[in-house]
Amino acid sequence: MKKKLILLFLISLLPLKAFALIEVDITRGNLNPLPLAVSPLSIDDKSKKSFEKILKKENIGSEISTIVENNLRTSGLFNPLSKEAFLQAPDIANLKPRFEDWNLIKAQALITGKVTYIDEKLRVEFRLWDILAAKEMMALAFTTVPSNWRRVGHIISDKVYERLTGEKGYFDTRIIYVAEEGPKTQRKKRLAIMDQDGANNKFLTLGNELVLTPRFNPTSQMVTYLSYFKNLPRVYLLDIETGTQEVVGDFPGMTFAPRFSPDGKKIIMSFAKDGKSDIYTMNLENRLVEKITNHPSIDTSPSYSPNGRFIAFNSDRSGYQQIYVMKSDGSNVKRISFGNGIYGTPVWSPRGDLIAFTKLHKGKFYIGVMRTDGKGERLLTENYYQEAPSWSPNGRVLIFYRETKTNAKGEGFSAKLWSIDLTGYNERLVETQTDASDPSWSSLLSN
Amino acid sequence: MNRSIIISSVFHAGLIFITAMSLPFLAKKPLEIPPIVSVELIQIAEKTNIPFAPKAKKIIEKVKEKEKKLVSEQAPPKKVKKTKTKTVVSVDKNEKIDSKTPEAIPLPEKTVKKIETKKESKQNPDKLDEEVKQVSEFEKKEFVDLDNIAKLIDKAKEDTAELIKKNNDITQDQDKSIVTSGLTLSEEDALKAQIFGCWSIPLGLPYNEDLLVRIKLMLEPDGSVSKTEILDHARMNKPGQSFYKVLAESALRAVKLCQPLRVPTTGYERWKELQLNFDAREMLEG
Amino acid sequence: MILSKIYKNTLLILAACLVLTACATKKEVATDIQGQMQSDVYTGTDTVEYLADGVPDRVFFATNETILTTASRETLRAQAAWLRKNSSINVVLEGHADERGTREYNLALGERRANSAKDYLMTYGISSDRISVLSYGKERPVDAGSNPLAWSKNRRSVTVKAN
Repeated sequence: MKKKLILLFLISLLPLKAFALIEVDITRGNLNPLPLAVSPLSIDDKSKKSFEKILKKENIGSEISTIVENNLRTSGLFNPLSKEAFLQAPDIANLKPRFEDWNLIKAQALITGKVTYIDEKLRVEFRLWDILAAKEMMALAFTTVPSNWRRVGHIISDKVYERLTGEKGYFDTRIIYVAEEGPKTQRKKRLAIMDQDGANNKFLTLGNELVLTPRFNPTSQMVTYLSYFKNLPRVYLLDIETGTQEVVGDFPGMTFAPRFSPDGKKIIMSFAKDGKSDIYTMNLENRLVEKITNHPSIDTSPSYSPNGRFIAFNSDRSGYQQIYVMKSDGSNVKRISFGNGIYGTPVWSPRGDLIAFTKLHKGKFYIGVMRTDGKGERLLTENYYQEAPSWSPNGRVLIFYRETKTNAKGEGFSAKLWSIDLTGYNERLVETQTDASDPSWSSLLSN
Repeated sequence: MNRSIIISSVFHAGLIFITAMSLPFLAKKPLEIPPIVSVELIQIAEKTNIPFAPKAKKIIEKVKEKEKKLVSEQAPPKKVKKTKTKTVVSVDKNEKIDSKTPEAIPLPEKTVKKIETKKESKQNPDKLDEEVKQVSEFEKKEFVDLDNIAKLIDKAKEDTAELIKKNNDITQDQDKSIVTSGLTLSEEDALKAQIFGCWSIPLGLPYNEDLLVRIKLMLEPDGSVSKTEILDHARMNKPGQSFYKVLAESALRAVKLCQPLRVPTTGYERWKELQLNFDAREMLEG
Repeated sequence: MILSKIYKNTLLILAACLVLTACATKKEVATDIQGQMQSDVYTGTDTVEYLADGVPDRVFFATNETILTTASRETLRAQAAWLRKNSSINVVLEGHADERGTREYNLALGERRANSAKDYLMTYGISSDRISVLSYGKERPVDAGSNPLAWSKNRRSVTVKAN
């Protein structure tokens, strides 16, 4: 009896042993950009001719796919493969990719699509395929006026980016900046706006007066900036669509360093008088002005947290420029930057967890990020002179501007926009027609 | 004049002499620094025995070399066969989508919003044209419900997942008693090294989240994968966790790309079921 | 053994003395080049213009500072005297900063520099109604160079006739 019981007990153990699942931890992989193929969007001859007439582009399908390809490449996260290696024609690939062919050129994802001309509109459908799993990941279609073709490319890029990274993209966006020309001592500055990839550049002011620090509102239709109109440096508000502009508030002195609140209802800025600068807000609906800081020091460069409850700003109340955080009513002021050097231009990330800044230490300028309590400081890039970071709407990329010498002797200078990934990788020059500074990144236009 | 020069030089010479005498460190031989003893830090999994380590390294290197050859010579033809069978499935799917398309596509076309150009200030000669507003004109239509994709990826039923969960709990309890049934260090490292090479970690992932994906594999004796299953697949469709789906998909791609897996030549019963824990944190933080 | 040690040390010290002397002469050369600066503040007259005979139009500041130097105070006293004599003239004080700072902070710093000049003029009896203040931050340098001398010229408050 006892023996039987023991035997039973032993038998009951057996299956457990068989189920002993071996676990293997995979903690490493390659961090190379994901290889993918962007097949040119297919187009029928009739549509092709129509678009050629309207847009003066020989093949709008491949133009759009080129935009997608460039966007994905500049993100640094993807590696669009050379079209020459593609084995399958665009129209057939869009119907049914031969996954083994695409696998052969080591693509892990494939983008296909079709462009048609229907009722004087541009209709684009596209599909994203997982080559290894041999299945469709996403399929979308858009219809719009033909002149919007570039934006279609950007929106496709955003959708692909989102599907493959789990985060929203940032391609269907614009950048407002200050276009610069002329010698340093008499620099001509104009407000300019362009697509994120540098296309569709437009100047918004003539350059008769100095303009600085333009910043978008949350819907990217309004811009607040500093203008020296009539030699009175004041914060202005500009409606990009209508071109109307107005002075913000009625201050008896210089107002500067403007930014919108996250709800777009207020402008926060500095007002300088009698040698001290304090932070004020003005409500755009009821024009009420509120004083937020009151300190004999210089308080400037305010930036709201995305939830609107906190403000990061720049103050020299400790003796040198440092970054502080306070509640949005001005209470509970706390210094958060304690590293070596001086800190300026805090900008709260759209995700809310980080603050980007400019740091000056031992004659070098750094763009960096720190957590909102000041811990975890990471310097992303070092240079002779650079400042003014602005976040991409998904909080993944920073755009800033950098001045460099034009020759080895250190003579001449040029100011350009640069972007860098939050990880500190993928630093890139953002091409502009003229010299450029003070970039501000819009929100996603299509959402 | 001369006298003062002499006095000065005498004093200077004296000073130099005294300083020279009192510079002790130059006379001494440099401190003898003990030779540096290099200590190799080896991370060892719970299950493995230390003596295997040095051997394993060599083996892994060999295996890696072999892999390279294998990947280039053997992999493509095999994959072609497999993917072909899958294409058939996807063709069906495609047709379905295509047949749906006419219904889904006719998109309501809104008329262009007319934009009244308001007063233009002198400062803005070239106002931006209508483009800005045409955002609203875009019509998007999804052919496939994106949420379904997650479901398609792992066709596993929830009840089997639960079963495995139970089993996992048991295995964890019994871990120590069944040490011998695990892979040896060399076997494990060979497999790891292979998958390391196949796994393209998605780069856009948030760096501060839980980035662990556990995948259970059913293996054939030749190392090909007959079934994959994401163990926490409930997380796939949670809001704010879209990166998890992305990560899971990348892990599945890695397994697909690596087929056949470098499994031990013996003891199929031991490893016919295998759990891979893909964790991207280490890579993305570092 | 000991002798050779002393001999070695003596040589070393002599060498050290030589190095020090070399340094001293070098420094003299360096100050020659930079004779236009005194502890970070520009003391030259290259960029200075005159409101009237013996009345310089600008004062200079040290890096990140808004304190007036002795020379600056002398300049401002001369300006105050000139303003008292010409009571119909109003002035704008234009404050500037060098390029080694963030734009927005430098705007505030320029304002503060101009104000410290304004305050000094007021203590010498010039009404605040006659003085307005304007900051250009780092937007209008006089010297486009990127070196300490150029920066010292740019850290300034300039008194400009407004009418």
